[in-house]
Amino acid sequence: MISWIHPGLVIGIGGLLIPFIPWRRLKQTYFLLLPLAGLTILVSTSSGIFGAIPSGPAEALHKWNVPFLQYTLDIVRINKLSMLFGYVYVIAAFCMNIYALRAKSDWEHVVAMIYVGSALGAVFAGDFFTLFFCLEIMSWAPFFLILFRGTKKGKAAAIRYIVWHHFSGVCILAGILMHANQTGSIAFVHMPWGWGGEYLGYNLMLLGFIVNAATAPFHSWLPDTYSEASPSGSVYMTAYTTKTAVFCLIVTFSGVPLLMWMGVISAMFSVFMAVLENDGRRLLSYHIVSQVGYMVAGVGIGTNMALNGAAAHAFCHIIYKALLYMGVGCPLLVVGTAKFNELGGLYKYMPFSFWLTMIGGFSISAFPLFSGFVSKTMTIEAAELIHKPLVYLLLETASIGTFLHTGLKLPWNVWLQGKEEPPAEIKAKLKDSALNSPLNMLIAMGILAFLCIFLGVFPKILYAMLPYPVEFVPYTLTRVFSLTQMFIFTFLAFWLLRKLVVGHATHTLDTDWFVRMPGKVFMQFCQGPLIAFGAFLDQKIIKISGSFIASIRSPNIEVRLTPMAIGFGVFMSLVLFTVFLVLKI
Amino acid sequence: MNKLRIYPKKLFWRIYWVVLALSLILDFIWLYLHAFHYHFQFQYLPQFFAILGLIGCMLLILIAKALGIIIVVDEDYYQEKSRRSN
Repeated sequence: MISWIHPGLVIGIGGLLIPFIPWRRLKQTYFLLLPLAGLTILVSTSSGIFGAIPSGPAEALHKWNVPFLQYTLDIVRINKLSMLFGYVYVIAAFCMNIYALRAKSDWEHVVAMIYVGSALGAVFAGDFFTLFFCLEIMSWAPFFLILFRGTKKGKAAAIRYIVWHHFSGVCILAGILMHANQTGSIAFVHMPWGWGGEYLGYNLMLLGFIVNAATAPFHSWLPDTYSEASPSGSVYMTAYTTKTAVFCLIVTFSGVPLLMWMGVISAMFSVFMAVLENDGRRLLSYHIVSQVGYMVAGVGIGTNMALNGAAAHAFCHIIYKALLYMGVGCPLLVVGTAKFNELGGLYKYMPFSFWLTMIGGFSISAFPLFSGFVSKTMTIEAAELIHKPLVYLLLETASIGTFLHTGLKLPWNVWLQGKEEPPAEIKAKLKDSALNSPLNMLIAMGILAFLCIFLGVFPKILYAMLPYPVEFVPYTLTRVFSLTQMFIFTFLAFWLLRKLVVGHATHTLDTDWFVRMPGKVFMQFCQGPLIAFGAFLDQKIIKISGSFIASIRSPNIEVRLTPMAIGFGVFMSLVLFTVFLVLKI
Repeated sequence: MNKLRIYPKKLFWRIYWVVLALSLILDFIWLYLHAFHYHFQFQYLPQFFAILGLIGCMLLILIAKALGIIIVVDEDYYQEKSRRSN
């Protein structure tokens, strides 16, 4: 009997067949069926067909144990946490596939499915080698998704992306090897952490996960590269890399105080950066960093409630962030830009994408009855319960910023700006209809928007899936009222200062300046002085060798050094050297 | 379904001002009735969340704008640098 069917393999390997399917309709149906097949496997796993899933966070269902070197690979480990991530990965993949149906290249679909498959492989991995293997595939897939946009800027961004992810991959690998060397175990479980030299491997592993999770100050790769992918490709990227890193952090480094502070700073810092942003997708990217900051802070707090909060927030985040990215993808696809200074007044032509994006905006800002509310408040409550007023205040202020940008600044600048008509050159690209966005995109957004509201209204369904038992009640008078009042006044502040948040055609420097500037200087050094020095050396060597050859070839010497003679000489000296080595050893 | 439409501006503002006024009044009433259960003392200040929302948001924008003087550069900042060197 088959012990388990891996949804990651079904989706990833199944995806490879897409370009070979003949009819377009059949191809599209197959593309949509892949995540549904994954979902079916997960549902049947939940129902216990492959064995009961233990309810405790420490126990798990282990499948596919394969001997490898002196270790045993635990390729599949099913517990409540991995099921939670597995579910949201396939549900999101289904909606993203609907959204991406009209993508130009089949290979974009293939890469996206490999990406989803490897992310599923990572969350179901029970040992570090399997995890690392999946993470490596995951780091390559977005590289191609960015390349598929085909722009020159995209090409450069793809290379920066892969450089960052090689860095994090090498850190994780070094950590894994040092850990395996020290303990002889490769089990993907909770790791010790500290500052001393004996913890070097663990710190490297942590650094790798932090880079993958785009936590400040190692976050800059995310806004830099996500904004350069194709409209549908970038939607996939929002969900998997960072959330898988959060999953890894929950498993390995929960309760590390450093993470709490890094998470909080990350949540706050990226909100500041987003104020200055002009590109819709870059703004949303900063809010991935910010929201992942909440999750990382939750992991750092490390109480059962905080870990639940981090996991629940990852679940909700994937759904509303995909929705928001899709919302911005609509104008990007239809009129070719998502820059605020070039847009505005689109409401008349794209009202549906506006309202659906607003639902995403309300969800990410944690409005009552929207999905962010039931997960984000959990992390904030966990910070309150460990009596950290500063952490609480910073997280609360960050959610003001989230509402300011994704709920107000983004829709205002793209769809409204107080104009009834978009700028002339944008208007020329629009049909005289309210249905400018392709229907498949609106359907995908509709499903996600429904899920956002559904999770917000019925949080118990989500809570039942969390790794630890939940005693948290999200809808209390205190919380609903305080958040609502806060957002009402955030809107007032936005309205008063709305002239300050309009877009300008600028670029905002981020922490990657510290990496890119030395890189630039190094390249300039190579292109300028180093090449000049090389040319100088070449010249000298040619001159010297020229005069040497001239002296050899001079009629005074009887024996001429022909190329054959030189070759023979080299050969003889090699033989002599070998004899010398043999005798010596 | 696919007719052009203009966003409901007037309706929005009417609802907005009513809700704003209501939130101010309700805060006083519920605070007086001890209906709130917060974790920190400062959260019990009257209209704390209104002030946090308003001042927090304004500070956010203003501080970021001030930061922008240093970190906002030309759109093709990185490209231009390399072009100059060529």
